[in-house]
Amino acid sequence: MIGILEVLTPSIILIISALLSVPIINLIRRYDNRHGSLSLIWISTPFLAVTVSILHLCFKYYAQAEKQPFVKVFLVSGIAAHLSSSFLVDAVSIYMAIVYLVVGLISCLYGILYIRIGNELSERYFALMFMVLGSVMAATFSGDLLTLFVFWEASAASSCFLIVYKKSPESIEACLKYLVMIIIASGFIVYGLSIIYGLVGSLNFWTVREALTSLSDKRLLTIAFAFVAGGYAIETAVVPFHMWLPDAYTAAPSSSSAFLSAIVDQASYYIFLRVLVYILTPPFILNWPFALAVFSALTMTVGNLFALAQNDVKRMISYVCVADIGYNLVAITSVEPLGVMGNLFFFFVGGMTTASAFMAVGILNNLGLKSLEDFSGIGRRLPMTSLALVIAVLSFSGIPPFAGFMAKYMVFTAAIEANMAWLAVVGVSNSLLQAAYLVRLVHYMYSKQPRRTIKGKEPRNLLVPVYALVALIIALGIYPSLTLTMIYPAAQQLGLLAP
Amino acid sequence: MIASLLLALLLPALSAPAAYVLGRKSAKTAANVVLLFSVLDLFFLLTTIPDVLSGGRYTESYYWMPMLGSPLTLFVDGISLSMAAITLLLIISSILFSVDYMEDRKSLREYYALMGLLTVGLVGVFLTSNLMVFYFCWEFMLIPTYFIIGGWGYRESYRAAFKFFIFTHAGAVAVLLGIGAVYMLTGDLDMFQAKNLLAAAPQDILIWIFAAFTLGFAVKMAIVPLHMWLPDAHAEAPAPMSALLSGVIIEAGAYAILRVSLGTVFPSIASIPVSNQFLYALSIFGVISAFYGAFTALAENDIKRIVAYSSISHMGYALFGLSLFPFAEGMIGTVLHLVNHAASKGLLFLNAGAIMKQTEVRDINQMGGLASKMPLTAVSTAVSSFSVAGIPAFACFMSEFLIFMGGFQAGGTDNFYYTTTALMIVATVFSLAYVLRLFWKVFLETSKIEKVEKVPVSMSISMVILSVTVIILGVWPGPIIELISAAVFS
Repeated sequence: MIGILEVLTPSIILIISALLSVPIINLIRRYDNRHGSLSLIWISTPFLAVTVSILHLCFKYYAQAEKQPFVKVFLVSGIAAHLSSSFLVDAVSIYMAIVYLVVGLISCLYGILYIRIGNELSERYFALMFMVLGSVMAATFSGDLLTLFVFWEASAASSCFLIVYKKSPESIEACLKYLVMIIIASGFIVYGLSIIYGLVGSLNFWTVREALTSLSDKRLLTIAFAFVAGGYAIETAVVPFHMWLPDAYTAAPSSSSAFLSAIVDQASYYIFLRVLVYILTPPFILNWPFALAVFSALTMTVGNLFALAQNDVKRMISYVCVADIGYNLVAITSVEPLGVMGNLFFFFVGGMTTASAFMAVGILNNLGLKSLEDFSGIGRRLPMTSLALVIAVLSFSGIPPFAGFMAKYMVFTAAIEANMAWLAVVGVSNSLLQAAYLVRLVHYMYSKQPRRTIKGKEPRNLLVPVYALVALIIALGIYPSLTLTMIYPAAQQLGLLAP
Repeated sequence: MIASLLLALLLPALSAPAAYVLGRKSAKTAANVVLLFSVLDLFFLLTTIPDVLSGGRYTESYYWMPMLGSPLTLFVDGISLSMAAITLLLIISSILFSVDYMEDRKSLREYYALMGLLTVGLVGVFLTSNLMVFYFCWEFMLIPTYFIIGGWGYRESYRAAFKFFIFTHAGAVAVLLGIGAVYMLTGDLDMFQAKNLLAAAPQDILIWIFAAFTLGFAVKMAIVPLHMWLPDAHAEAPAPMSALLSGVIIEAGAYAILRVSLGTVFPSIASIPVSNQFLYALSIFGVISAFYGAFTALAENDIKRIVAYSSISHMGYALFGLSLFPFAEGMIGTVLHLVNHAASKGLLFLNAGAIMKQTEVRDINQMGGLASKMPLTAVSTAVSSFSVAGIPAFACFMSEFLIFMGGFQAGGTDNFYYTTTALMIVATVFSLAYVLRLFWKVFLETSKIEKVEKVPVSMSISMVILSVTVIILGVWPGPIIELISAAVFS
């Protein structure tokens, strides 16, 4: 039997170590201020503990998954159970936790090396990263809409500080934009939740789900879910509400962009998947797939067209993130096991690819290279960083043998399978457009002569996390079964819920 | 032999890092490593001949991703074996050619490593019956080709490479849609399984699938309205890469139309009338390409562009041959033409590269009288260009003859094919014209170039290898026709 502690241990470890990080590292610094090796040990300890606890949860879950695929855990058991905070452990949430762990570990490592005060590590920065990671993980396991909301907002609040870390005027403006959007979004969500609670009397996923099928008058429900979905759409940056994302990711330090795009973005798609597919699956409750398909086509197209027009490479990658949201929505729309599978694969791959692109761009930004023209001829001057960026953009454009291809293939096939061939056609046309402007970037990097001499060398230590991600991208591209073996049962499980 | 196809697929992938690491001291070592791996690769491929001759088809299957209907299925039959073998022969010659041809260039170990990677895609396309593996290899050609054309090409090479990349990727995207649809309809991605399963699928979707596949493959084949990438890419690439582009990459398009569009999807829609119009369209675009390529080749003065346009013309022949589906002569002729054209055109591009390197001009009006100064090149150019022109006793004659035979046979059931076959025969005259013009201007006219250095050894060897191949294919095509026809009839 999986208890509440087992579900929450990873988050508790991360959040507590986030809170303790600042005093402890300050303490450590007094005794060991030469290499910061003690600080590194302190940082790696929580990761080790989280890995162990997630693995423990994973084994425990799979030992009994046959009998009970959806494990419901309550904070308060007994008569008030339907009112208490609850958590849901299934194959999907376990998979997501592992994804966060892997990608989070690598991008934290990059962040720690990237953000330094003088020659020392910045303790506040990774305290924030731990905070985000911890709350996102708790959101993943949450079993009712309110718990989900609370943890999700906690992560959004910490993300703000990651964005504003440099305190430059642009980043403050971007952060303000983000905050305003988040606050509006949470207003929407809370309003929607209150209606749902009024209709159903509980916010547990499964209770809501069961109640919905028996509900006769669905008008109020339509409004409620429009509010919830709208709120999460703002936080996910689905197109008409996407404006905050490119600003935020461009103004934030690259390590923050990498971390946020890898963790928070993917988590927000996951929430979409959870709310729409798990709770709202039977399309006869509400015909949401078509509306979502329209939004996804819009998101892909707008994201790619704006990316095409950018001259700042980091901003271009930010718009690629917007386009990625569109691809993810395509998969959610299909409500087929294949689509869910593509989606889960996309979470992992998309997170890794955006993270590695932002990391590589971050290294180049540090050398003073920002615009496309600045990138001229860096292929020969900075070969390792350029190669990593090339692999990331080829993976974005969906070219085998990189993992992005497999993700896109599954997503588009799912769209065809869901009888939305038009969406697949829009998707692949977008993919082609994406390939065009991304290969143009490669073109700049390799064909042109450098415009000015580039001072400085490639930082070896920063390349380690980048290449860890690149290796994963290639490995998953050539042999996707590495994760598919885990995704397949998870997708079947969610697919079973479909009518 | 056990796992020989898996080895044939993976050896080149290993050759890339090996060449990169071992080639640190000298580029020659890198070249030798890639060469050794390619020869080994050819050896492993040829070990399957007994199985193919006795069983018709040799298959291996490995665990890859069964969740998406894709085991790693490798197979060869007569068609793919002959295509893969000529591909490897061409790769070996190209690498051998590169040793002296590229000697004054920089960062050669990257070049050879990329050549090794390219081999994976080029050979893999012919070795698999799984559409997903096929697509992997199909797209895997893009990246190394892009960097080889761009990094070691001539004028504005990255521009040409960019054009190549975008055009062929656009084609591939259409193919991807087709693959997704096939998976949706059948739940299986094996070409032979899908062929049977598609028979039950709704025909109005199948028409779209057929169109998507054919369009996508036709881009790579450079059929006329979709050919814009070819002249630039072929002309600006380094000579060994041009040889591979013309000898393998565009032929892979023809092979894919035969195997996937016609072999897998077409049987299920053959019963409806619109399918005939598809074949007519192939036939007409074949004729247009053949004429367009030949005319433009006649008008060009740049030696490599002439050869490039001649490739467009020849892909027209191949497409015309494909439109004769399912007449056996036409199919055998087409596959044989692909093999012959690979050898001849590859050789012709290598010759053009040798001429350009030794004389340092590319305009044929400024050449002339090279026959006495570069006798070996003159002979091998004669062999390759006569073959391209379709003169008897050289390779392409036999295959063109078979295609026209097939055309007349098809004309027997459908008068339309009499017209197109007759037009194709007219097109051969123009082929002869541009070949003779090329040969006359470069080798025979009064000499305009004073001093020409001797062609280095490795370049000579690779030209000799391919010349001998072209002559053997022309004089004694029996065995290979036997190999191909066994596959066609099954």
